[in-house]
Amino acid sequence: MKPGSEPQRVLLGSLEEQVMLAVVRTADEAYGMNVRRELESVTGREVTIGSVYATLDRLEAKGLVASSRTAAADATSRRVFAITGAGARALTQTRMTRERLWLGVKLQRLTDS
Amino acid sequence: MRPSGSPPLPAPVVVIFRTLLPIAEREEVLSDLQDEFARRLTLDGPRAARRWAWQQAIGSMPALFQRSWWRGMTGFEPRANRMRPGGPMFESWIMDFRYAGRRLLSRPTYALLAVLTLALGAGGTAAIFSVARTLLLDPLPMAREEQVGVLWFTGSWSEAEFLHLRPEFPGFQRMAAYRPDDATLEVPGGAMRLVPGIAVSAELFDVLGAPPLLGRTFQAGDDLAGAEPATVLSYSLWQELGGDRTIVGKPLRLGGTSRTVVGVMPPGFWFPSPAIRAWNAVPLSARSNSGRYTLVGRVADGSALANLDGPLRAIASAVGERFPAPAAWDKRKAPAVAPAREFFVGDVRPSLVATLAAMGVILLIACANVASLMLGQVDARATEMAVRAALGANRQRLIQQLVLESILVGVLAGAAGAALAMIGFEVLVQSLPLGELAENARLDWTVFWAAMLAALAAAVLISIVPGVALWRGSSLQSTMATTRTGGIAGRGGRLEGGLVIVQMAMAVLLAAGAGLLIRSVANLRAIDPGVETRGLVVIDATMPTRLAAAERRRAILDVLPALRALPGVTAVAAAQKVPLRGSGDNWGIRVRGKPDLPDATTAFRMVTRDYFQTLGMPLLAGRNFDPSDRESSGRVVIINQALAARFFPGEDPVGRVLQTFDDQGERIIGVVADAAEATLTDPPVPARYMLYEHVPPVWHQVTILLRTGSPDGIPALLAAARSTIQRESSQLAVQQTTTMQSVFDLAVGAAGQIVTLLGLLAGLALVLGAVGVYGVISHYVTRRSRDYGIRIALGQPPGRVVRQVVGRGVGLVAIGSALGIVAALAVTKVLSSLLYGIEATDPVALAGAVALLLFVGMLAAFVPARRASLTDPARVLRQ
Repeated sequence: MKPGSEPQRVLLGSLEEQVMLAVVRTADEAYGMNVRRELESVTGREVTIGSVYATLDRLEAKGLVASSRTAAADATSRRVFAITGAGARALTQTRMTRERLWLGVKLQRLTDS
Repeated sequence: MRPSGSPPLPAPVVVIFRTLLPIAEREEVLSDLQDEFARRLTLDGPRAARRWAWQQAIGSMPALFQRSWWRGMTGFEPRANRMRPGGPMFESWIMDFRYAGRRLLSRPTYALLAVLTLALGAGGTAAIFSVARTLLLDPLPMAREEQVGVLWFTGSWSEAEFLHLRPEFPGFQRMAAYRPDDATLEVPGGAMRLVPGIAVSAELFDVLGAPPLLGRTFQAGDDLAGAEPATVLSYSLWQELGGDRTIVGKPLRLGGTSRTVVGVMPPGFWFPSPAIRAWNAVPLSARSNSGRYTLVGRVADGSALANLDGPLRAIASAVGERFPAPAAWDKRKAPAVAPAREFFVGDVRPSLVATLAAMGVILLIACANVASLMLGQVDARATEMAVRAALGANRQRLIQQLVLESILVGVLAGAAGAALAMIGFEVLVQSLPLGELAENARLDWTVFWAAMLAALAAAVLISIVPGVALWRGSSLQSTMATTRTGGIAGRGGRLEGGLVIVQMAMAVLLAAGAGLLIRSVANLRAIDPGVETRGLVVIDATMPTRLAAAERRRAILDVLPALRALPGVTAVAAAQKVPLRGSGDNWGIRVRGKPDLPDATTAFRMVTRDYFQTLGMPLLAGRNFDPSDRESSGRVVIINQALAARFFPGEDPVGRVLQTFDDQGERIIGVVADAAEATLTDPPVPARYMLYEHVPPVWHQVTILLRTGSPDGIPALLAAARSTIQRESSQLAVQQTTTMQSVFDLAVGAAGQIVTLLGLLAGLALVLGAVGVYGVISHYVTRRSRDYGIRIALGQPPGRVVRQVVGRGVGLVAIGSALGIVAALAVTKVLSSLLYGIEATDPVALAGAVALLLFVGMLAAFVPARRASLTDPARVLRQ
């Protein structure tokens, strides 16, 4: 498949990408606060719960993640996110795009100097 | 899970999240936040934990706001379904607003009509009411106006009488005297001009309870002989003089003498009329019996104007004893006091009531109109509502949507109406002859918003109707079925019909009122004032009061030849008073050889030789003044028909002698036709005319009349006359220039001005009524389009469809008109005091109003009728 003729070529923003990856990493436990915690512990940056939810909503609107509720009816019922097929494709495409860009890039000298 | 006993999140943080998070994820997020908070408390201590919580809350705000906005704005629904009942109001409102906006955009006619109706109703009434209120001189420029009254015999108290009573006026705390005193104003480097003013006694401003803006008002002693002449200026005059605050204490040349400006009144202050711009304290003399004063007083605390009979009789008898007078002038005849409002504003109650009523009617029409427009929409939306309800929308949500649409209409109408009110008000103030009153005119925003709210409330109430209909359990099926059949089995449209009938009834009422006033004004205009009003220029001039009578006479007579020489002028005259401007001087009359005549007075006019030719008053007997009548020749007088009829019934008055000044008397040389020497509507009053040369006193005011053969050239002639007078005479100052036609228009009076306003209101009512008929008939046609399609398919000619639809519209208008006539018969009585020569139940005005309404109704119904006749059966039946 030639680049450019791919159907629905979706590139993710960096926060979107990070949130989606965190969803994948937390797997069954991918609810808002856990995603936030995962992001924080891996990236070492403070992330607000609001921006996590806003990003998850946006991703859901684009059909890249889906959410469902856990069974319990009380407050422990959680909205758990999972990435969809389209989401996985978008992640792959984003990564491939980035890796194409990285091809042949050598920053060794710049970082050394 | 929140471990029991751990400190809770800071309250504001909880509030922020509760506000911004949809209910679906609120509890989950808060409980997770609480857990994390508890963990951090144990790990990092309370300070760091609280800092973290705040960071989370504040840092989340932009993202969450953006999310709410974005979702609401796109109306896009993720599967999380935060739009279901009970979701956050904020988002559903935005959605509904957007939806209402799209609906209005897709129905431009409806949107335009609704917005226009509201805007016209509120903006129009606000503009017209503001002008009406200004015309009616509200408010009076005095504190506690109910305490202020004017004594009887207005305009004819003498200085001596006032000074005699001054130490104590029984029943009053304070009494002030004033008389007209327009004065020439000389400003260095500027042309001399006339400033309308009054001469007052020192108490005036204390009686009125009116504080100055700058300096002081008058104080005791300002009106004593030898006191420094003082003046108080109006705000507008002060502004014209430069608005310099240091003007207080400076001298000003007023009326040919130097007066000290002691104070400036605040803007909006007027007394006794809005034209007055200077108040001059004049020295009062106990020896002066000249009687031109009006007395205005404030009653003592605790007493009221209504029960002053005793004190008034005491005043009357005190004056009567000290100053015996002939019976006609005996002040003991009927002591009375007129309340300030009645005296200064005159009897404007009918005008006020008429305007207010008209305004109320317009508002009701606007409300009914918006209501019927909304009702039309309601039916059109029945299917939509049913589908929404079927899909799970609850009542609250359905009604919210409907109400938001009417609020959106209201907001648009508010903007349009405010613009309309401002423009309309400006146009009215510019085009109506408000004169100095224009300075007091303010747009009344309270009225505007009140009108707006009333109309909007009606719209919102009506918009709720379909929601209510749905509550009442009309099931989805029946609603759908009704809509499918095109409304034949649906609501009968009785409510809309009723609203149109009400509107039409009120429009007829207004049109009838306006019609009555128009006919009445036409009657007034049809009165022959006895002078030829066309092509007659009127110039009011004044001379310094210090001039002696002979100097004044000289000044008047000397300026006339130069004016006569102006191009286009065919005749020139001067007089101390022209017809149609009130009764003016009335002097006692005696007839030689008739000593048994009772004491009487007649109108007395000083004129110049060509007065009658200039005014176009025909001579009926005897001769006119001619060059042989000089100062040195024997005194002569010309009388009018009314005087001849009253004092010389069945005799030839020419050659008889009247005695006005002394026993020598003046010989009657001619009789002229009657002219309206007092007001337009009074019967002709007896009047006599003498030459300036033959009358000892000469007032300092004079009116110069120029007759021109070319009425088109009047403006140029006015300018030329003004500069000629300025050039030829150092004593005369032009006060105002006008035409006899304007004097006549002014004499037609309040009805003439109110008729403009009422005419406008009636026009507004007609437009709104037409909109109402159009809206209702149009909706009626839309609902029955299937019906018409079937009829046309079965062979009914389109012409009959048009007739049927128009017939329905006209039927509604006819019922409304019938009701309107009944209402008009009951209500127009309030107008009767404004009417002249016409009954309040005049059939022509009523019939005219109805005919106009029927015509407008027919026109408004015709447009949708034509649409109905063009219904394509194939298309409609396939729906």
